[in-house]
Amino acid sequence: MSRHLRSEAVVIGSGAGGGPAAAALAESGLDVLVLEAGPRLSARDFSADESEMRLRLGRALTTADAGQSLYAGRCVGGSTVINDCLCWRTPPEVLDSWRREYGLVDLDDVNFGSFVERVWRDVHAEPTDRSHINRNAHRLELGARRLGWAAGPMWRNVRGCAGLGRCNFGCPIDAKQSSLVTWVPRAERAGARVLANARVDRIRVEAGAVAGVDVTTLHPDTGAPLAALRVDAPRVCLAAGVLASGSLLQRSGIAPHASGRGLQFHSSVYVTGRFREPVHGYFGPTMAYAISEFSNVNGHAGPGYMLENTAVQPLQTASVLPDAGELHARAMAALPHLAHTVVVLRDHTRGRVETRRDGSVQIHHALGDDDLARLRHGMTRAAQAYLAADAVEVHLPVHGYGPVRNESDLERLALIPLDRSRLSLVYAVHLFGGAVMGGRREGSVCAPDGACWDVRGLYVTDASGLPSNTGVNPQITVMANALRVAAGIA
Amino acid sequence: MSGAPGIRGHRVSGAPGIQDVARVCAALDRRAFLRGLGLAAGAGLLPTGCDDAPGQFAPAPDQELLHLTPRSYAVLTAAAERIVGGRGADWIRSRQVDPGAHADAFLAAAPAFAPPLEQALLALEFAVFPLIGKLRPFTSLSEAGRDAVLSELAGSRLELKRMLFGGVRAISLLGFYSARETHALIGYPDPDQVGGATIRDAMTYPLDW
Repeated sequence: MSRHLRSEAVVIGSGAGGGPAAAALAESGLDVLVLEAGPRLSARDFSADESEMRLRLGRALTTADAGQSLYAGRCVGGSTVINDCLCWRTPPEVLDSWRREYGLVDLDDVNFGSFVERVWRDVHAEPTDRSHINRNAHRLELGARRLGWAAGPMWRNVRGCAGLGRCNFGCPIDAKQSSLVTWVPRAERAGARVLANARVDRIRVEAGAVAGVDVTTLHPDTGAPLAALRVDAPRVCLAAGVLASGSLLQRSGIAPHASGRGLQFHSSVYVTGRFREPVHGYFGPTMAYAISEFSNVNGHAGPGYMLENTAVQPLQTASVLPDAGELHARAMAALPHLAHTVVVLRDHTRGRVETRRDGSVQIHHALGDDDLARLRHGMTRAAQAYLAADAVEVHLPVHGYGPVRNESDLERLALIPLDRSRLSLVYAVHLFGGAVMGGRREGSVCAPDGACWDVRGLYVTDASGLPSNTGVNPQITVMANALRVAAGIA
Repeated sequence: MSGAPGIRGHRVSGAPGIQDVARVCAALDRRAFLRGLGLAAGAGLLPTGCDDAPGQFAPAPDQELLHLTPRSYAVLTAAAERIVGGRGADWIRSRQVDPGAHADAFLAAAPAFAPPLEQALLALEFAVFPLIGKLRPFTSLSEAGRDAVLSELAGSRLELKRMLFGGVRAISLLGFYSARETHALIGYPDPDQVGGATIRDAMTYPLDW
């Protein structure tokens, strides 16, 4: 038998887009119900078991052509539970582009900036001081310094980070100020209810206005369907994550001309350096230092990517190292001496989300030649940074490419065709679009205030509403936009 | 150290890890040829004894498998030994680490990946003839024979073969390196390890180091 709930506002999702919206709406006095498809875990549930935690906290996906992997958070707190705590203000070039090209006229440094500053304060973004630059990050720092490249420590939303190196598996000491420990508890203190293991199947629309959502509750351990739940609500904030939000609109028959479209990634590849001295890259902040020399935002005019150090965990390292057999074993045996850098590309490629008849999501996104060329450029620069920092050898994630020991070993890279099967390790680390805001109804799902053009009472507050990628880690931008949209609802 | 000779001649960038298992599964799942091969194998249409898992790599008699069949477990074990290489191969051979059991546990938690991986493993078992011209299943080959098959897949001009290798490599490395006992092999410090590296070791260094 179907259960029935009522609420003044439903928020679908509890991550960077849902958490702030829920807190803002609840604090404005609305009765808020947060529906999260994933389980609710807490610090005591977060173990150091890499494979177990990745399975419990998120889900792995792939693009339709199998060219790129994705990993999306699926738990209370969403991807903020498994991200690397990195905080960047929205670059002015991005806001300028959104105003000029997409008609988001209010998103200027003053209006939007005020929400960014609120988020910055509320999630406790702080600079990474010297004591939190681990050896892994320092190797990238040293390379950048010797090559004269623009670089620096990144800001992180942490309180009392102990350097456990487990940001991606859930912080076991709640040092990370994820939505799980900031926005969601804040919403609950203001009276919001949070229902975990609750998958929204459809947004109900009656006479052009949102009427509520149809939900299936899921078994907390197996994810098996348990019961149907009907929720009536005159306001719904969609923040299920880029893939799920676009798909949910499609399943609900909302904005079929634009839902699922405008998908854009930050694509990434890993470059691994091996050093004579131990690096112990599994300890310390998982990410802390960035080379911004090749970025095309924040005043830089490079090809459009960042180089950021990232943690060295066993399973992940086995994944990103090339080769097999003896060569792979030898590289793995040097784990304590390895450092990772991830090339985070501001893609040009656009894709789309498609919902199949069985309800599953298909991601159509094939990296274009220009993006592949820039990834190749990024791999080269990351390898150069490690060589400048005295790496014994560098491993590139390219089929048939051996360890790089000097600059001349990099010359062959230009000759290798980087199609999807040769450059197999491409991860989409940040996702945007699928329910984009725009100044005109054509080509967009929402108006600039986040309100759905076609359905009264429906709002988009996650990264699916953003019309393009940002060139920097986007959690602050997503949270700020969620607060901005919520301020217009309450 | 008596390590496995490894897969010579081809360096490959496969795609293990959970994300890459997903990626490769998606590709394999759409390949009708793999499905056909799997069905043919299941129907006993392919050469050599297909009914029982080869003893050398078979699961223990009392070992309960949730998703893998005894044969796919054996194929995975035979492949993992060659893919992991080094001392890890010795550990798999001596059953100190059981990548098949860990892979099976992974598939229990992510059952959507099981069918394509099962197909990939069956394809590997019965695709030996077109690859190296021997009418024997993969699990009955010598170490050198298994290396030759894997190298042929890894270095193939055909994307499908490379994807097949990527799938087997992915689940092999996942099965092996998700076992905690492998940490000692790669110098990864466990939290309760006495005398191992500490967070302080990672955070201190001369600035010009």
